[in-house]
Amino acid sequence: MLMQQLLNGIVVGSVYGLFALGFTLLFGVNHIMNMAHGSVFMWGAFAGLYAVLQLDAPIYVALLVGMLAGGAVSVLLDLVAFRPLRRRGGPEFSAIVSSIGADLVLISIAQKLSNTAVMRFPFDAFPVIFFSFMGMRVQLLQLVIMALVVVMVVGLVWYLYRTSFGLRIRSVAYAEQTSRLLGINPGPVNMQVFFISGALAGMAGVLIGLVFNSVHFAMGEPLLLRAFVIIIIGGLGSIPGALIAGMVIGIVQTLSVAYISSGVAEAIVFMALFVVIVLRPTGLFGQPTAAMRVQRT
Amino acid sequence: MSTALVLENVARHFGGVPAVDGVSLEVPAGQITGLIGPNGAGKTTVVNLITGILHLTRGRVLLDGQDVSRAEAPDLARAGVARTFQNIRLVPDASVLDNVLVGFHRHEKTGLWANLLGLPSARAEARQMQGEAMQLLERFGMTELAEHRAGALSYGHQRRIEMMRALASRPKVLLLDEPVAGMNDAEAESLAHIFRKVADDGVAVLLIEHNMRFVMSLCSRLYVLASGRLIAQGEPDAVGRDPVVVEAYLGA
Amino acid sequence: MINFFNTYQSLLDHILVNMLLAASQYVVLRAGVFSLGSAGFAALGAYCTALLTTKLGWNPWLSVVLGMMLGTFVSALLALPLSRLRGVFQAVATLAFVQIVLSATQNWVALTNGPMGVNSIPHAAGTASLLLIVVAVVVFLVMMGRYSFGRALDVIREDETVAVSLGISVPYYHRIAFVLSGALAGLSGGLHAISSYSITPQDYGFGLLVAALAMVVLGGRTTVWGALVGALVLTSLPEVFRVFADYRAVVQGLLLMLVIIYLPRGLADTVIAHLKDRRLRRTAASPVMAAPAGVLTAQTRSRS
Repeated sequence: MLMQQLLNGIVVGSVYGLFALGFTLLFGVNHIMNMAHGSVFMWGAFAGLYAVLQLDAPIYVALLVGMLAGGAVSVLLDLVAFRPLRRRGGPEFSAIVSSIGADLVLISIAQKLSNTAVMRFPFDAFPVIFFSFMGMRVQLLQLVIMALVVVMVVGLVWYLYRTSFGLRIRSVAYAEQTSRLLGINPGPVNMQVFFISGALAGMAGVLIGLVFNSVHFAMGEPLLLRAFVIIIIGGLGSIPGALIAGMVIGIVQTLSVAYISSGVAEAIVFMALFVVIVLRPTGLFGQPTAAMRVQRT
Repeated sequence: MSTALVLENVARHFGGVPAVDGVSLEVPAGQITGLIGPNGAGKTTVVNLITGILHLTRGRVLLDGQDVSRAEAPDLARAGVARTFQNIRLVPDASVLDNVLVGFHRHEKTGLWANLLGLPSARAEARQMQGEAMQLLERFGMTELAEHRAGALSYGHQRRIEMMRALASRPKVLLLDEPVAGMNDAEAESLAHIFRKVADDGVAVLLIEHNMRFVMSLCSRLYVLASGRLIAQGEPDAVGRDPVVVEAYLGA
Repeated sequence: MINFFNTYQSLLDHILVNMLLAASQYVVLRAGVFSLGSAGFAALGAYCTALLTTKLGWNPWLSVVLGMMLGTFVSALLALPLSRLRGVFQAVATLAFVQIVLSATQNWVALTNGPMGVNSIPHAAGTASLLLIVVAVVVFLVMMGRYSFGRALDVIREDETVAVSLGISVPYYHRIAFVLSGALAGLSGGLHAISSYSITPQDYGFGLLVAALAMVVLGGRTTVWGALVGALVLTSLPEVFRVFADYRAVVQGLLLMLVIIYLPRGLADTVIAHLKDRRLRRTAASPVMAAPAGVLTAQTRSRS
C-alpha cells in the first residue's frame, strides 16, 4: 500500500516538477515570479480537453495542442503583462502585480467559457491498461507520464546546453547587460523562454487533467502554490532542484491525502513553504539573489 | 587625535578577481582628500567597502582609530560615516524639506509615540530639526524650493538635496561619490565652495571623482586608482604631472 | 431619499470596512514590505469576533477589540521572520500564510463551522460607528505618515541602501509596518463580521487578498488617501455598474495591469503630486520671487 502511494506520489510529483521547471526557468532568466503561470497550465489543460472533446483528436495530439496553447498563452502574457514593464525598468513589485492581474483575467475568461463546470477527459481518452508489479497496480498512463517527463527534461537540457539558442538564453540569464553588449537581443530570448515555460506548463496541465480526472478553471491556483514550494525548496533557477523537490512534494502530498486528509495536506504544503522561505530562501540548490536584504556581501 | 578615516591595505576580490587591491589611504578631518581614477578603476568599490556594503577580502578600515572592518552598514552610518550616491536616490514624491529632514534621523531622540501624541519634547525637536534643515537649504540656495516635490526639480537641484541630506546627519566622514557628474563648471564650482566650507567645519571629506580639473583646486591630497590599485598619491600638482597618472587616464 | 440611503447603506458599510483593509495593505507597501497577508489577518479578526459573539455571547464591540488584538499578535509573531525577507519572498510567504489560515477556517470544523461559516452574527456596527472608526484611523495614519516615521518609511521603500546609509534601522520599521498592518486588517475583519450577519472562509481567501492589493495599487501606496480612493472605487464599481459585478475579476485584473503599467503611482497619488507641482509652479512663476528656482535655471544656463 505504501509502495503504491509512493509510486503515485512520484508520478504526480514529476508532473509538478515539469510545471515548476517552467516556472523556475522564467525566474532564472528574467528574475520574475510569473504569478499567472498557473493559468497557463490551466489553459493548456482546457486546450487539450477541447482537442479531445470537440475535435475528436487522439490523446497525443491533445498533448501537443496543450503544449502549444500553453506556449502561446505564455508568450501573450509576456507581451502584455511583462514586456511593457521591462522596457521602462519597473521594480519587481510591478511585475508581480501585473502578473496577478493577468492571472485574474485568464481565470475569469476560462470561468465564463466553461460555465464554472468541472470537466473531465472522456474515460477512454487514454487507454486504461494496468500492470501488476511488486504488488502495485501500475497504470500505463503513469509509465507514459514518467517517460514524457524524462523526455521533456532531457530535451530541455539539450536545448539549453547544446544549442546556440540555449547558449543565448543562459547568457542572458547570467548577465543581461553584458549579453546585450555582446549583441544578444533579449527580446527573442525572452520569447523563447516564455514559450518553453508555457509549453511545459501546458503539457503538465493535460497530464494532471488526466491523472486527477478533472479540468476546471481554478485548477491552476493550487499548482502555482505548489510550484512556489518546489522551486524554493529546490532552489531558484535550478533544474535538478525543481525536479527533485517536485517529486518530494508529490510524495508528501499523496501520502498526506492518503493517510490524513486532503484539507490538512494543503495546510502541510503551505506550512512547509512558509518554513522553507523563512529559513532558507535560496533552497537546497539555488543561487542567492539580490532580493536579500542590505548587508555585507 | 588619530586620522578620521584610514584604509590599510584594503582589498576586495570577486571570485578570485581583484576589484580592488592593496589600497591604503588616509582621510584627515578638516581636509578634502581626493580619490580619482579612470572609469572602472574601483572607486565605488572602495566607497562600498568603507560604508559596509561589501566585505573586505583583506585589510582594515579604521574610523578614528577604531577598527570597523567588520561593522555593518547601519552601524557605520550611526558612527558618523555619510555618503552620497552616484545615481541620485531621493524620494521623488516628498518635498525637498522632507528629503533633507530624513537625514537627521540618526540624531532623533524623541520616539514614535512622543511624535504621534504631539508631546512638547517632540515638537521642540521637530522645530530644531526644521531650523537646521532650513539653514542647510539656505547654504545651498534652495530656500524657496523647500516645499517643492523633489522629483520635479532639475538634476542640479536634486544633487544638492542629496548633499544636504548627507550633511544633515552631521557626519564625521563624508564620502562624495562623483557629486558633480553631469554638471557644468559654474554649478560644480558652487558646490566646490560648499565642500570647502564643510571641510572647514571639521569633517573629513573623501571626494571621489574622475574629473581631474575639478579635483585639482579642491583637494589637499590626491590618491589615484587604476584597475583597482593605487598608482600615485600626493599633492595634486605633483600627481597631475606624474607620467604614470597621465598614461592611466589617456590609456583608459 | 431615505430609500436611496437604505439601498446603499450596506454598500457604504462595505466601503468603510474595505477602507480599513486597504489601509492595512497601504501601510506595508509604503514601507516597501511586500506583504499580501492582510486577508489572513482579516480572517483571524473576523473569526475571532464572530466566534466570541455567537458561541460565547460576548459583547460585539469587545469581540472586535479581541479580533484586532489577535491580528496584531499574530502579525507580531510573523514580523520577526518576515523582516529578514525581501520582495517576492515576503509576498510568497504571506501568501502561504493566507492559505494556511484559509485551510484552518475551512477544515477545523469543530471550531469554525467549516465551509458553512458562522451565521447570525449580531449586526452591531452601524454606518455611523464605522465612519467614526475609519476617520479615527485615517487621522492616526496621516499623523504617522507625515513626520519622521513616514519619512523613514519612504526612504526605506525608495532605496534600502540609502536608508541604511542614513542610520535607519530597516528591520525595525519593517516590523512596525507589518504589525500595524495586522492590527488594521484584524480590525477590518472584526468589523466585517459584526456588519454582515455571516462570514465564510472563502470571504478571506485569494479574492480578498487580490482586492486589498488592487485597492492600493489603484489608489496609490504612498498616501492614506490612495488606500481610501482605491477602496471606494473598487468596492462601489460593481454596485454602480451592474455589468462590472459579473465581470468583477476581469475588471480587477485589467485594472491591476493597466494601472501598474501606465499609472504606477496610482490614481490618488498621481493626482496629489500633480496638484502639488502645479500649485508650486504657480507661486514660483510670480514676479515677487527672486532668482528663479528649479525648472527655470535649466534654460538660463547659457551664461556658462
